[in-house]
Amino acid sequence: MARSKSTDPPADLLGPVQGEVSWFCCGTAWGPCSTVGKGACGTCNSGNLQHAWPNTSDACWAITRPDSCGVSLTRRTCGFRHRTTALCGGASVVTTIADCGPQTDLFCGERSCCGATCANNRLIDLTPAAYSQIASLSSGLRPVEIAAG
Amino acid sequence: MRSRRDLLKSAVLGGGASVVAATALGSLGPEAAFATTAPDIEPGAPDPNFAEGRIRSIKENTLLVLGSNMVFHTIRVVDGTSLWKLGPVGFDQAQPGDGLYARGVLMPDGVLAAESVWLNIVNIKGHIKNITGRTLHLDHSGHEVLCHVVPGKSVAVHSESPPTTDLSMLKVSQHVQILGAWRPDTNEVDIATVFSPH
Repeated sequence: MARSKSTDPPADLLGPVQGEVSWFCCGTAWGPCSTVGKGACGTCNSGNLQHAWPNTSDACWAITRPDSCGVSLTRRTCGFRHRTTALCGGASVVTTIADCGPQTDLFCGERSCCGATCANNRLIDLTPAAYSQIASLSSGLRPVEIAAG
Repeated sequence: MRSRRDLLKSAVLGGGASVVAATALGSLGPEAAFATTAPDIEPGAPDPNFAEGRIRSIKENTLLVLGSNMVFHTIRVVDGTSLWKLGPVGFDQAQPGDGLYARGVLMPDGVLAAESVWLNIVNIKGHIKNITGRTLHLDHSGHEVLCHVVPGKSVAVHSESPPTTDLSMLKVSQHVQILGAWRPDTNEVDIATVFSPH
């Protein structure tokens, strides 16, 4: 798939951005999650209202590279608040940054929809506690709007 | 109109009529249940209306769960509770040893009245190292996870295309997200959905 150049300035400085959300586990956990640790900020727990953001540091950005999907996002660090609103249903949750992610570039161009409402590219990952406030964990991936919280 | 949370509270507190009312409103399925407004909780803090851990014992309609942080949770399943284990299941599918996430309403007595319980659910990303028969060998953060295709259950979602039971388009070295049900105490997962960007 062709990749486009990043936008300038970062889209999320101008207002809410739309993208995909998934969920990830962190902290003490069972199963395949038992080895993941407490995230880049050292505070991440699956039961907390937290999220991963693709631009928490230069090292983080070098891994996630949302710019390779044509998305520029603002540098925001541990503890920064975002509000994530489901485009299906309108439920929202405010969470703080606790990790680096998702790895946007590996799913570049991906699009998820509910009905006719769609969003492109993975821009945020929520903990299970946070994701389950706005959607079922069994949905796995949803289109959302993300704003500074 | 009373919220589903109110109905759950009533159900746990013994209001039998409320259980009927909850069912009459439709299943307390997650998508519907999440339309309700949760009470404000400090961002970054633990959510008291959420629990995770592994089932230690089951007594009547109650799950005693040991959290991974060694905190015990008592989770009450009521008529309207939705349970998931590779798909929607009944309460009889919950077993000691299962991992879970649960969301509901924390009652004053410390019991979590469950809206939804997800048994053994995992959502992992990685790249496909190998495909043997009906098994994907996934490299998940340096650990191999064997992900089994379950006929009639497993589907693939390729970007915005509708889910398909045809998983033949998955290729070695491809990066995917796998939502599935962990087989307790193994490195194996039964696949519910494979998300693939292409």
